[in-house]
Amino acid sequence: MLNETYDVLIIGSGHAGGMAAKILTEYGIRCLMLNAGPVADVSHDAEKKPAYELPFRGFRPPGRLEHVFQSNEFNANVWVDEQEVPYTFENDQPYNWVRVRLFGGRSLFWSRQSFRLSDYEFKAKSHDGFGEDWPISHADLAPYYSRVEGIFCVKGALDGPPQMPNGNFILDDAPWTSAMQRFMDVAKPKGVPVCKQRAALGRDGLASSVNLLLPDAEKTGKLTSIANAVVREITVDKNTGLPNGCNFVDRLSHREMSVKARVVVLAAGTLESTRLLLNSNLANSSGLVGRYLMDQIYGAGVVCSVPEARNGRSKGVMGSSAIIPRFRNIDTKSAKFLRGYAFNTTASTGALGARNFTAYGAELQRKMDEYSGSGFYMTIMGEVLGRYENHVRIDKDRKDAWGIPVLHVDTKYTDNEFNMAKDAVDTACELTEAAGFEVLSKNDKPNPPGYSIHEVGTCRMGNDPKKSVLNKFSQSHDYKNLFVVDGAQFTSAGWQNPTMTILSLSMRASEYLAGEMLRQNI
Amino acid sequence: MLRRDFVRAVIAVGAAPKLLLGQQAATPSPPLPAPTPWLLGLNSKTPIPYVEAADQVALAELRFFSPQQMATLTRLSDVLMPPMGEKPGAVQAQTPMFLDFLIGDSPDVRKQVYREGLDWLDSEAKKKFNLEFAKLNDAQVDELLKPWLRTWMSDHPPAEKHADFINIAHDDIRTATVNSKAWFTVPEVGAEPRTTVELYWSPIEPDVSLEKADCAQMPPHVKAVPKADHPMPSYPR
Repeated sequence: MLNETYDVLIIGSGHAGGMAAKILTEYGIRCLMLNAGPVADVSHDAEKKPAYELPFRGFRPPGRLEHVFQSNEFNANVWVDEQEVPYTFENDQPYNWVRVRLFGGRSLFWSRQSFRLSDYEFKAKSHDGFGEDWPISHADLAPYYSRVEGIFCVKGALDGPPQMPNGNFILDDAPWTSAMQRFMDVAKPKGVPVCKQRAALGRDGLASSVNLLLPDAEKTGKLTSIANAVVREITVDKNTGLPNGCNFVDRLSHREMSVKARVVVLAAGTLESTRLLLNSNLANSSGLVGRYLMDQIYGAGVVCSVPEARNGRSKGVMGSSAIIPRFRNIDTKSAKFLRGYAFNTTASTGALGARNFTAYGAELQRKMDEYSGSGFYMTIMGEVLGRYENHVRIDKDRKDAWGIPVLHVDTKYTDNEFNMAKDAVDTACELTEAAGFEVLSKNDKPNPPGYSIHEVGTCRMGNDPKKSVLNKFSQSHDYKNLFVVDGAQFTSAGWQNPTMTILSLSMRASEYLAGEMLRQNI
Repeated sequence: MLRRDFVRAVIAVGAAPKLLLGQQAATPSPPLPAPTPWLLGLNSKTPIPYVEAADQVALAELRFFSPQQMATLTRLSDVLMPPMGEKPGAVQAQTPMFLDFLIGDSPDVRKQVYREGLDWLDSEAKKKFNLEFAKLNDAQVDELLKPWLRTWMSDHPPAEKHADFINIAHDDIRTATVNSKAWFTVPEVGAEPRTTVELYWSPIEPDVSLEKADCAQMPPHVKAVPKADHPMPSYPR
């Protein structure tokens, strides 16, 4: 039916939007979901090819996607094109904004790591005096975490310390291989916990909104979805002053259209949701929309070799993956930085790359043959502090391919992040050398902000409407019929991959919204 | 083609073959206007022609490096990645020519690293051995390269001048060679790297009207100038 009013308009189809659609439609609420990009169908959009058939032999096509380090010639067409949807930053403060507008968003390609935030994150200010506490605690979100872990088939062990709460896992009871066991024997006495990795197995090889959430919503018959809808702005009812829908433009035909809804749920991804609020000039009585942009530092770490696994003796020695959750500033206090970092720690059976040896030609190949199957990797995921100065705003002079003003990103890492990275590399070297491993290469410089693809904040939640954009149910302090359910709502970043938390917050907000709508409060 | 033309063509195709055959016996009439019916014959049974990548067959034009730089790059490639066992080396895999193409298309900062690096290698060779780099033997090349080899992690190549070029070029030469057809066709024996064979994504419902967009008329958005001398490189992860 044309031009009818839907109950809820959901902007975005990734983890946050997909969960909102599932929960709301299961409560009988009619939802309209808009996605900026097309539906991707791997059976006709993709094909296995060898690198030599591609013009650039797999190298990222020069000049394209310069800020998406994760891109190469094979996957270049899945990311949002930086010229189609540009963004700006100061020359000396680069930002890597990594986006996917395909239906399902970044949920199609995420790494599956699944950790809960703990009260060291939810009540971070109570613990160390910096920033703000979240308006919720782990206890508030725990039931939702459990349900999400069930839907996403998260596999892990119940071996987490308090800073990494255990969950509803498919149990990982595989024994540790000997190299990892030796490493643990060195790490544990130094107060460094080493735990089984936690990963969402999903179903049929995918753990995404498109296979775990949207089908449930579609089954209810209450979900209408539109692809290729680039939203310009959220519209406001002239009489009530409340958000009442949006204007959007068809991505390909450039035809202008609009829809109406009683409630608007933003789930376009942290910075796109914020960009939409800023372009619509809405929900900013606090003045904090766009402020406190955070992510995690990535890129620092070490690559080592386990001597007894060389020369083809990898079996039984290598093959374990571990997560070392944050251990700094839990029971101890670091002089050089607040909060902490985790290590992804892997004893790999694969080959060690050429960059790990100062050799070339035949000598390099001899070394690679000897060292193959002995690689031990530790890479950091560190919490970035939320600072008022790190923010995004609209750059009115630049517009994207549909004439929508772009974001200007003004953020940089500080000593807290740089000191954390240095401590991480020093600690990794200390532990691996104590375990008898050979350190081959190391790096203590974080990748540019945004590289982690875990950008959060800019619409943080809180109890005080003067110090936050959203309340504890992800609802705008200014409009009770406006919700932001993606990463924008985070009050602090934590070291943990944000997906489980985004899904759980979206589930909780959607159930709250459903309750309010059924009680006719909204 | 537009949907209504497609529909017209579908209606026409049913009638057309009979008309053509019938008309051969009687007075011949002009052929039907485009789209002609046989364009609609492609179907799932149609054999797909097999094609080779162009640079396996044709000689690509060199357009970026000077002849002297090209000679230096060729010698460098041959030393850094010589043929080993049955596996081809960089020169056999046409890596120097490919790098002329890749670097020639790359951002200015990357072009500069290569140009300055190749010129520097040549001047070092002349200083030390009174020969151009392309004429040095393996031991002499090794003497020039050895002090600059480094270990490094993804996205963080050495930033120190000369070490940056040597290690980035080494990595690029290896990647380009491993991803060549010449490399792929020879089976591995040990821990040699494998040619990348992966899912390639075609453009998904591409927007071909981009040229008309506002952003296409404006200069590109502010490019990052990172603190190092050169930007983070574009490496396969």
